[in-house]
Amino acid sequence: MARRSQGTKLHLAVLCLVVSCHAIGLSDLMERASQRSDQLPVLGMFSFSLDSHFPPMGRVMMPRPSMCHTSSLQTPKDKEQALRVSENELISLARSLLLAWNDPLLLLSSEAPTLPHPSNGDISSKIRELQDYSKSLGDGLDILVNKMGPSSQYISSIPFKGGDLGNDKTSRLINFHFLMSCFRRDSHKIDSFLKVLRCRATKMRPETC
Amino acid sequence: MMWRDVGVTLILSLILPVVAQGARHTPPGKPKLTSCRSPDKETFTCWWEAGSDGGRPTTYSLFYHKENSETVYECPDYHTAGANSCFFNKNETSIWVNYNITVVATNALGNNFSDPVDVDVVYIVQPHTPENVTVGVLEDEDGPFLRVSWEPPRKADTRSGWITLIYELRVKLEEAEEWEEHRAGQQKMFNIFSLHSGGVYMVQVRCKPDHGFWSEWSTASYVKVPDYIPRERSMWILIAVFSAFIFLILTWIITLNRSSVKHCLLPPVPGPKIKGFDQQLLKKGKPEEDLLVEYLEVYVNEKQELMPEGKDLRDVGCLKSKSQSDNDSGRGSCDSHTLLMEKCGGVESKDESSYEEPELLQGQAGSWERLERGDSQVVDTPDSSDARVKTWPLVFSPSIHGSSDNHHYGTLEMPKQHSTSEITYSVPDHLFPTSTSFPHHHHPEYRDSLGEYSEYRHSRSPSTGVLYHWEAQHHPQAHSNFNIRNLERQKEATGLGLPPSRSMEYVEVQKVNQENQLVLKPLSSHGRGPSQVQFGRAVVDYSKVNGVNNDNVLLLQRQREMAEAGQYCDYREKEGAEAERYPTQQQGKTTKDGPVATQLQESTCLTTSGYVDTVPTMPTF
Repeated sequence: MARRSQGTKLHLAVLCLVVSCHAIGLSDLMERASQRSDQLPVLGMFSFSLDSHFPPMGRVMMPRPSMCHTSSLQTPKDKEQALRVSENELISLARSLLLAWNDPLLLLSSEAPTLPHPSNGDISSKIRELQDYSKSLGDGLDILVNKMGPSSQYISSIPFKGGDLGNDKTSRLINFHFLMSCFRRDSHKIDSFLKVLRCRATKMRPETC
Repeated sequence: MMWRDVGVTLILSLILPVVAQGARHTPPGKPKLTSCRSPDKETFTCWWEAGSDGGRPTTYSLFYHKENSETVYECPDYHTAGANSCFFNKNETSIWVNYNITVVATNALGNNFSDPVDVDVVYIVQPHTPENVTVGVLEDEDGPFLRVSWEPPRKADTRSGWITLIYELRVKLEEAEEWEEHRAGQQKMFNIFSLHSGGVYMVQVRCKPDHGFWSEWSTASYVKVPDYIPRERSMWILIAVFSAFIFLILTWIITLNRSSVKHCLLPPVPGPKIKGFDQQLLKKGKPEEDLLVEYLEVYVNEKQELMPEGKDLRDVGCLKSKSQSDNDSGRGSCDSHTLLMEKCGGVESKDESSYEEPELLQGQAGSWERLERGDSQVVDTPDSSDARVKTWPLVFSPSIHGSSDNHHYGTLEMPKQHSTSEITYSVPDHLFPTSTSFPHHHHPEYRDSLGEYSEYRHSRSPSTGVLYHWEAQHHPQAHSNFNIRNLERQKEATGLGLPPSRSMEYVEVQKVNQENQLVLKPLSSHGRGPSQVQFGRAVVDYSKVNGVNNDNVLLLQRQREMAEAGQYCDYREKEGAEAERYPTQQQGKTTKDGPVATQLQESTCLTTSGYVDTVPTMPTF
């Protein structure tokens, strides 16, 4: 623990140095990253808000959120826990989650046009937008971790095993809805982690935090 | 029997309410969770509403279980948040975790479960209102402005970044109806400009987490703006005053120079000018015997023989006097030969039906006016006849100075009702030699006392007036006649090689006698006596020249009756017809002036076709 806190302090010092030396400082990068991540839940919310069209029976048969494929990743459960997490871990968590959704988003974007839903066109375009945002955020975070140091570059790999959404119309809709709910939560997580990280890393701009 | 029924009814009516009351006690109705909210992403509260209580005291309890475990927990706190609520404190709140919450209503008879609701704290964040909202008035170079500042709600932890709030404020004048809303982002301070001076403003602020619900509006803050003049408005006032000032000055300057401005903008149209002509004298209306002398410029053609005119002299005579020097600036459209010829030709083609006899020199003053130009004047005849003679300011050149002034035959303005103007002259039989080729033209000739022919050419402009150009051509005759020729004649005459340097004689109009006869006398040193010219009756502007007597006086026939008394040329049968058509305005005064007229009649062949376009005024001597 002590070593850890020492490492954290050293790391913070490095961060501050890094910030002062580079043109695009860490704070700016963090700012941009958090702005980017801010969009994810909004987009994810869109598909989810079409809840009314899903059959009510589906709610009962809906898979539990604990069955999200990212639930294996240990994330803080409340504020105290989250504030105790180091920056490296925070960034690692964020990147891992982001990476874990690349494949499912691919699946969703391929399935959305044929989805038996009246707004499947809108859903399809939103998912494409999600993919773009996700990609640009991932690239930004990669640059960020390069500035932060090697210890922050660890990423947990979370495999996605879902092959397709199902065969019949109902199960397709249900599975689609379930996946979107999982994504919505994870996008919130990513956003929260990055905003905590932003406030922690930018001591120079206390007014934003 | 009846009694029994009544008793049963009574008993039943007493028992039934009791029984019914007992029947109202039922298990409670189904409760319903209305909302759950978290102000800080660390705690949350759920509210429910109760169903029917079933008549018995009913208790409500809330149970939940988290998504990953089956363990059911009961609400830890029913009181903090008020009635029918459950408050979850920090220790019991997990985020990014689904809570499955159910409310149970229980009474003595049973219980009832509400529908379960899934709640994730991260989705139900609604902060409290911002705190410490302060509004102040600050001064700027553009004027005062409002500065609003606030603080985040106490519970929300924005310092660590756990919760990110964005703010919004709204402002309006106290008496206004519509709010003006502004997004302030994450900042905790906002400036409002463009205030109404002296107004009272109300300001409210609210906030929202990045993904969540808006808070309530804070309580209104009031602020009064001090009085001031907006800089922009004062600038416009200055500009307006300045412009008005300049405008006034310009108006004043223009008013002072009104005439010259008018002259510059609307240059006056140059009027016709007769060189050497004194308009002032005309306007004065006084007979100035010496100055106001009109002359008939008479060309005397020395070379030409007197030739009898073989043609019937039509009434149409286009008179045109050739002017040697054409330097008059005020001439009308009668300047050009071709123009005149066209007109003359046009005139000639008309029949006598269109002929109008000009009224000329009638005894009545009114008739004169037709001959007038705008500013002609009435000249008294020396013999104080009643006839008013108008001077001819345009026809005759008042200057005796030389032949170069022959341009001053200005245009006589014909009254418009006289569409045609024809001038007939009574010409002697002996006509101009070249007249044979123009059967329709007559060229009356007049001889002056010298036996010279003079040619009068009359040109007329169709619209404005008549140009009189008189030429006198001297003929080696015993008596001179004035040849009145049309334009074509004139042309031919030139073709004949008339000498360009013809001598010109001025004929001086001495007076107009009582019979409205224009008394002419040549201005040369011949010392000829005055000739009388009778004005023939004609269209308004025309008078017929009867002839020239031996004294070289142009006799203008005033009326047809004059001619009747005299000799008619043989070829002038038509004149009789014409005569009838001429309305003779003048009824009296058909008498001729005795000696002169007699002279005239004997010596000349009167051609009624020759008319002189009379000048409205006549000189008096």
